[in-house]
Formats: sequence, structure tokens, C-alpha cells
Amino acid sequence: MADLKPTVLVIEDEPPLQRFLRVTLEAQSFKVIEATSGENGLRHAATAQPDLVVLDLGLPDMDGVEVTRRLREWTAIPIIIVSARGKEQDKVVALDAGADDYLTKPFGVGELLARVRVALRHLAAANRDTGDPIFEARGLRVDLSRREVTIDGNAVHLTPNEFKLLTVLVKNAGKVLTHRQLLKEVWGPGSAEETHYLRVYMNQLRQKLEGDATRPQLLLTEPGVGYRLLDQ
Amino acid sequence: MSDPRAHPPRSPLRRPDIAGYLWAVGVVAAATTLAWPLYHAVGFHGENVLMLYLVGVLWIATHHSRSAAVLTSVLSVVAYDLIFVKPFYTFAVSDQQYLITFGVMLATGLVISALTHRVREHSEEARQAWERVEAEFLRNTLLSGVSHDLRTPLSAITGAASTLIENRDHLSDAAQSEMLDTIYGESERMERLINNLLDMTRVESGGLQVKKEWQPLQEVVGSVLHRLERRLGGRKLKTDLPPDLPLVQIDSVLIGQVLMNLLDNAIAYTPPTSTIQIRARQAGDGREVAIDVIDDGPGIPAGTETRVFQKFFRAAQPEKRQGIGLGLAICRGIVEAHGGTIGAGNRPEGGAVFRFTIPMTQSPPPMIDAMTEREPAWQT
Repeated sequence: MADLKPTVLVIEDEPPLQRFLRVTLEAQSFKVIEATSGENGLRHAATAQPDLVVLDLGLPDMDGVEVTRRLREWTAIPIIIVSARGKEQDKVVALDAGADDYLTKPFGVGELLARVRVALRHLAAANRDTGDPIFEARGLRVDLSRREVTIDGNAVHLTPNEFKLLTVLVKNAGKVLTHRQLLKEVWGPGSAEETHYLRVYMNQLRQKLEGDATRPQLLLTEPGVGYRLLDQ
Repeated sequence: MSDPRAHPPRSPLRRPDIAGYLWAVGVVAAATTLAWPLYHAVGFHGENVLMLYLVGVLWIATHHSRSAAVLTSVLSVVAYDLIFVKPFYTFAVSDQQYLITFGVMLATGLVISALTHRVREHSEEARQAWERVEAEFLRNTLLSGVSHDLRTPLSAITGAASTLIENRDHLSDAAQSEMLDTIYGESERMERLINNLLDMTRVESGGLQVKKEWQPLQEVVGSVLHRLERRLGGRKLKTDLPPDLPLVQIDSVLIGQVLMNLLDNAIAYTPPTSTIQIRARQAGDGREVAIDVIDDGPGIPAGTETRVFQKFFRAAQPEKRQGIGLGLAICRGIVEAHGGTIGAGNRPEGGAVFRFTIPMTQSPPPMIDAMTEREPAWQT
């Protein structure tokens, strides 16, 4: 068998961040390939066939969103984007262009590894082509095939739209989903701008699943970007 | 800091002062109308009538351009000559003395308007000089405050990191993790400081882009509390948001920042055993939603209720201070960009209340159309 270590391509131009990413990922038994520009990164992606890409949106030669689009023309490998605070719109554009998740600088190891783990797991699930029909976290249990939702064993009644919303979140558990992605999935392509529907339904879902909508532990808001269902 | 664009220097070449000319005509006409009965019926002397015109010249000279003052002088002389100097209704002048009167009138108008002009220029210069002093003061406060406040966490980070590098073998596991905690915690503090500086710059430069969307306030509160959890220490946090609170039209990132800064502030100025409360209510007959952040700490010093929202204001003693005094100024900038108001006060039972409002100028979008469900299952 060849090298079984998953390979991560890090496209990052700032040396300190590059070093942090390399040391951290190598400590977790990943093989790390480094690129310091968009062009270079695209070349490496094609030749080295990495399992995951960590991509800084602020590259010197090319917009990170453009790199995302060019990668998505031919590959479905997970892309985790890294970007500065206050650039929420850029993150949303990159995510809608096909990136899988994001990290806001500065970020810690815990966050980085959680994103990587979730992205690789979704890739594996997509390759098997069968998502786990049962989701469990913090007392919440969702059985997608039997359409059953329970909290600590007690059945919860959801409306069809609430269930649809929860289904999309469960299928992407751990991953961020933009407002646009959720609206398209639940209400159809014509509703991508009606964010208040999504927010009201999310609020209802939180009330039913978490009791208090102001103290969510599972259905997290990613400010200015979208939502994330925690998977642990 | 002052924005040079806010006060463009006055151009010496101004457009013709049309309003001033109209006023000149009006003032001369008014003086004539007033003087007419005084001269003919009451028996005023010509010199006193002239005084009336002079008042008009003075007023125009102090309120309008120099050319308007000249026009008033000329018109006054013409009107006076025509109407009050014999022979009436001609420009002929029987008494040579009146020529001196005309000259004085013209000179008065010119001198007064020149003086007024100079006084205006001086006050403008004084104002600009004051603004320069103020900006300089702010810049110095900012620089000294910022460098002090950045250096404090930086010193802790440098110290802890060098200890780890140089004395790693002699440090117990507990001591090592304490050093690491210091590095992490202080970096986070530095990040907050830098974020505040950047936010303040955006608020000041007018670069604040408010992307308003209709949403339940619960979501913003929830996302802020999730991020804040670790910093609360032992403090209890209560939320009181009625479920029937209407949707509000806000930029969730920015209003989240307001809540975050208010909560940071409450944490900074209360002991770790205190309780902090977030409360939201419809107010002003439904024309706004008021959000309160309430604590049971020492409250804010009397007389500083407004000043706490000024840049670089810090209520605590220098050794106890936490930030650089920008958090609340940022709150004010963001709330005002939403058309709301922000204020602070103390509760009679102790503790501070910070309240900001979100105007409800439009009604929330309806939730009833094909996208909603007709028979919500949760009502059964």
C-alpha cells in the first residue's frame, strides 16, 4: 500500500501562519504540501492530488474565491478557507462558490482540526454514497429514514419545513451552511434572499430542540455567514 | 480625529451673494418706508433718517458679503438723496455737506463689512486651531493608550514564551500550562483591542456598512452568548426576551458587536459573583425595541452617563482599566447607524443599565405565503 497519511495542501503566503499550519497538521499525522500563491496552489492541487485544501482568501496573486472556483471546475476535494475578521461577505462568496468551511484569523488548533475532521468525514461519506441516517449529539437523536426526532428519548414534533431544515443540517453536520445554501435546499431556488424565513424557522427549531433560543448549544449561528449544527 | 473633508476651506472667490443683494434691496426699502412717516409726519431731521439707513448698512455688513454691504450703502445714498434731500426726487444736491454724509455712509459700510469679514476669518481660524489641538490630543491619547494597552499583554506573552523556551526543563507541568494559558489569554485580549481599534476607525471614517436584515433578536443574543461563555467567569447570565418580540431590522454582525461590547463592559466592571441580564422589550408604543444590559455591580459614576460613550473615556482607575475606552463609543456609532439611541444609567437597587433602541419604522415582513405552512403542528 502507498502512503496512507491524508495529504493537506496549504495555500498560504504568510510564513508564521504557514508554519503554524504545517506543525499542527504534521503533529496530527497529515502530510503537508505548501504553496504560497494561488497559481502555485492550483498546480500543486492538480499534481499532488491532496485530500484537503486549506486556502487563505488573501493571496498576493489571485483572489481566493477565484482559486475556489478554478478548483471546483474539476475536483470535489474539501476546501477550508482562512480569512480575516470583518470579511464575512468574502467568506459567504467563497462558500457559495463551493468552499466547504472557513476559519477566521486568528484561530486555534481545536477549531482547525475540527474543521479538517468534519471535511474529511463528509468526503468519506460522499465517496461511500450513504450518509449515516442516524444523527446523535447532546441528547438529540435524529433518524432521517424514519423521520423521528427525539431529545433525551422524548419525541419532538416538527413541522415539515422544520424537519426539512433539520435534515439539511444533519446531512451537513459539523459544516457551516450559508443562508443561501439553506434557503435553496429548504424553500427552493427562488427564495435565496428571504433570509427572515430561515431565521424564524431556525429560532423555532432552537426553541423545540434546545429549549432556549438565546443559549444554543447545537444549532449555532455563524455571524454574517450562516449556521452550523454541532456534531458533538 | 478631525476629518479634513468635513470643513473645506472657504474659497476666497465666492459666488455672487444673491441672497445678500436681495436683503440689501429689502433693507433699504424697509428703512425708506420707516423713515418716510418719521421725516414727514413726526418731523425727524435728515441726519436721523440717515441713521436708519446706517442701521441697515450695519446689519447687512455683519450678516452678508462685503459686496452686499457696498450695495446697501450705494442704495441708501441713492434713496436718501432722492427722497429726503431737497430738491426731492432728483440726484441734484443743494447742500455740499451731504456729499460728506454720502462718503461717510459708504466708508462705514465698507469698514464694517471688512471688520466683520476679518472677525469671521479669525473665529474660523480659532476654530480650526482648536480642532487641531483636539485632534492632536486625541491622537496622543490614542497612541499612548494603545501602545500601553498593547504592550501589557505583549509583555505577558513575551515573558511566558521566553520562560517556556529557556526554563522548560525546570518548570512543573502546572507551571507550564499556566504559561501557555497566559500566552493564549493575552493574545485573545490583544485581538480584542485591535478589533476595537479597527471598528472605531470604521465608525469614524463613515466606512460602516450596515447590512440590515429582518431577524429575531434571540438569534443575535444567542450567537453573542455562545462566543462569550468562557469569559463570563463565575458570573450568571440571564436573558429575558419575550417570545412574541417582533422581528427587528438590523445588521446582525454589528448589533452582535454592540451586545458583545456591552457585556464585555459589564464583565470588566463587576465582581465574578455578579449577575448580568439581557432584556428586550417593545417600547415607545411599538415604535422601537429597547434592549437593556443590566448588571448588579458598582454602577457608573454619577455625571458620567453620557461621557462613557465618548472615545477613550474610562471609568476605572488607570491600574484597574481593561481596554482603551473604545467599546462603548463603537456601540454608539453602530446604534446610531441603525437610527437608534444608546444611554446608560444606574438602577435604584444598584448596578448599571445600558439601553439601546432599534427603531421599528417599517413593519416586519409577513410570514404568510406559500413558504409557510398552513397548519403548524406545534399548535396542536
